[in-house]
Amino acid sequence: MNLIRNNSKGCLIAESDEPSFDPPPATRTSALMVGSDIATHNSEQTDRVLTPPHYDVRQLVRLVQCLQCSKPFTAPVTLPCGHTVCRECLPSAEHRANISWPNTEDRQRGYTCPFPDCGTVHPTGECSVDVTLTKLIDKIRVEGSKATQLAGNHFMLLEEVPPRTQTTPIENRVFQYVGRTRELPGGRLVATFTMAEMGELGHASEVLYTSTSMTVEEEQVLDTNVRSCIQEAALKELDCLVCYNLMLDPTTTSCGHTFCRRCLARVLDHGNDCPICRRKLHIPPSLQDQPSNARLVAILNGLCPDLVAARVNALNLEEQSAESNLSTPIFICTLALPSMPTFLHIFEPRYRLMMRRCLEGNRQFGMVMYNQANHPQGDLGTTPFLEYGTLLEIVNFELLRDGRSFIETRGVGRFRIREHGMLDGYNIARVERVEDVSLTEEERMEAEETKDAQASAEGFQRQHPNTPLDPNLALNLKSTHELLTRCTSFVERMRSHSASWLSTRIVSVYGGPPNDPALFPYWFAAVLPIAEEEKYILLRTTSVRERLKLVDNWIRRIEGQPW
Amino acid sequence: MALPKRIIKETERLMAEPVPGISAVPHEDNLRYFDVHIHGPSQSPYEGGVFKLELFLPDDYPMTPPKIRFLTKIYHPNIDRLGRICLDVLKSNWSPALQIRTILLSIQALLGAPNPDDPLANDVAQRWKEDQNAAIETARQWTQEHAKP
Ligand SMILES: [Zn+2]
Ligand SMILES: [Zn+2]
Ligand SMILES: [Zn+2]
Ligand SMILES: [Zn+2]
Repeated sequence: MNLIRNNSKGCLIAESDEPSFDPPPATRTSALMVGSDIATHNSEQTDRVLTPPHYDVRQLVRLVQCLQCSKPFTAPVTLPCGHTVCRECLPSAEHRANISWPNTEDRQRGYTCPFPDCGTVHPTGECSVDVTLTKLIDKIRVEGSKATQLAGNHFMLLEEVPPRTQTTPIENRVFQYVGRTRELPGGRLVATFTMAEMGELGHASEVLYTSTSMTVEEEQVLDTNVRSCIQEAALKELDCLVCYNLMLDPTTTSCGHTFCRRCLARVLDHGNDCPICRRKLHIPPSLQDQPSNARLVAILNGLCPDLVAARVNALNLEEQSAESNLSTPIFICTLALPSMPTFLHIFEPRYRLMMRRCLEGNRQFGMVMYNQANHPQGDLGTTPFLEYGTLLEIVNFELLRDGRSFIETRGVGRFRIREHGMLDGYNIARVERVEDVSLTEEERMEAEETKDAQASAEGFQRQHPNTPLDPNLALNLKSTHELLTRCTSFVERMRSHSASWLSTRIVSVYGGPPNDPALFPYWFAAVLPIAEEEKYILLRTTSVRERLKLVDNWIRRIEGQPW
Repeated sequence: MALPKRIIKETERLMAEPVPGISAVPHEDNLRYFDVHIHGPSQSPYEGGVFKLELFLPDDYPMTPPKIRFLTKIYHPNIDRLGRICLDVLKSNWSPALQIRTILLSIQALLGAPNPDDPLANDVAQRWKEDQNAAIETARQWTQEHAKP
């Protein structure tokens, strides 16, 4: 399992995290400090790394330096791509074109990501100040100024050694590498931090140190003390507020709050509010495409690699013991839809047993349809059931005297069967959650599709001025918002014509049409009298726009008229 | 199953830095089960009483809230005859960022500020609205009768 996803080259520091230090460097007065860059790793330079104890000092300070302005972060913002910059270092927000859903104010404008490997326009609503990093850097500043005062008359001479080549384009936008020399109070660590605070130490620069008033031993004592003070203060900010452990694979939400990746995923299984500020989080619960907070990962690895390793080991042990593969009971019966009710009559003994076990457990089971046409089901081969299904939760259970029962369920999610077996006569499976793509991806798809369709439509009409467009092209031209409006106005029209499938009885069971475009297609499919095989496609469609287009196709067919 | 680190830490902190007027002690044989005592807040009809509660941390805590109820009889519009408590943070407003400590503080605050508009015990709430003074007097009597320290 790859727990730490992002670059963790800050690990270099691990080797120096020893209680006792090796003999001091041979060059007593001056030593070239080389650490690894967070963004770019220059292997050619690492050969020249000198002996501990001091070789991690430069890298330690670099961990909190902004790649844009080179100063330790002020109001750091961790972007959806996992990179961090100061709020002031973000470019000004610009309009995000061709996006109609979700058309909220905090998604209409965005910042072009200053990191060359990303380049996305991140919606402003997803760029909040990183609460954990902010507190962490505040603590480091406090420890830094305490240490400066304690340093008394001890001074270090620092000479900036700029990188021979500009390493990443982001750095030369703001920071000018000059190669300054400064005499600053404290040991190496504090003096380096101070120079960075002054904005005179480039992120990629190395430093030559000369002690003007201390022996190397004195320097070491000073640095070791400061380092352990910083570590102690920092660790207090690095606990996850869900599990109370050191953050493991820290993952930051759009509201700027950070949790262990695993803890955040568990939280999202139970609802989509941030546990701390209760803002709505629009991220798929598996956190599949959610990058880790690269800076926090680097800081954790740099500051306390042994604690991180211990945490990973403990978790691996826990997961091994909790490994249960085929954990979802499967009911093969009918099409069920997410967020919609499904009513079942249970009479077969094997399913009675299954329901009893469900009721004792988490009240959930999987519903899949029969594979009537014997189509192969992906990697599973030809199975008696279809591979996509809906996870149902038992809402009401009515046991009849003869042992039969009626149950009312509600769809809580979609899944795909990856592996299956039998238990006491019923099917069990290992399932994988099927979830929608992120909002960002949804927006990207809309922008791209409508733009392409626009170009094709214009081209086509130039050549065939009076011919109607191909219906699918016409569909792709529509914004996601227009698609939804078309669907809801169709429902209104049908209602006013008292269509039988929209009778009050049906609406009383399924409710009125939901406003949420993500859920609307499920409702529509639940009330619409068309073949279940067609509705089934919704279960494997992971974009809201695509689902609305499916609905639109059904509507077109019902209306029986060309576009 | 081993006790999660979070429960261990919460228990340690509850012991090391107890909240004034509140105590929560885990059972020796079940560390998810706590005996809780809450002192009635001053200036409330529950002043002078010590109320016993039971608190249980379910398997999926902190994803789901602690289960908690009054064992001592109490006359309060938001607490029913079975000791169940009507408090948003114990239900829909629960968040894993809350903890035992904050929940107990909320319950203590609820004793100080009964809310008859969001009742669990309808008869009590009714009385509270119709004749607040009489209701408060009953609450005081119940406290003296049932919540003797
Ligand atoms: Zn980015
Ligand atoms: Zn900056
Ligand atoms: Zn955690
Ligand atoms: Zn938040």
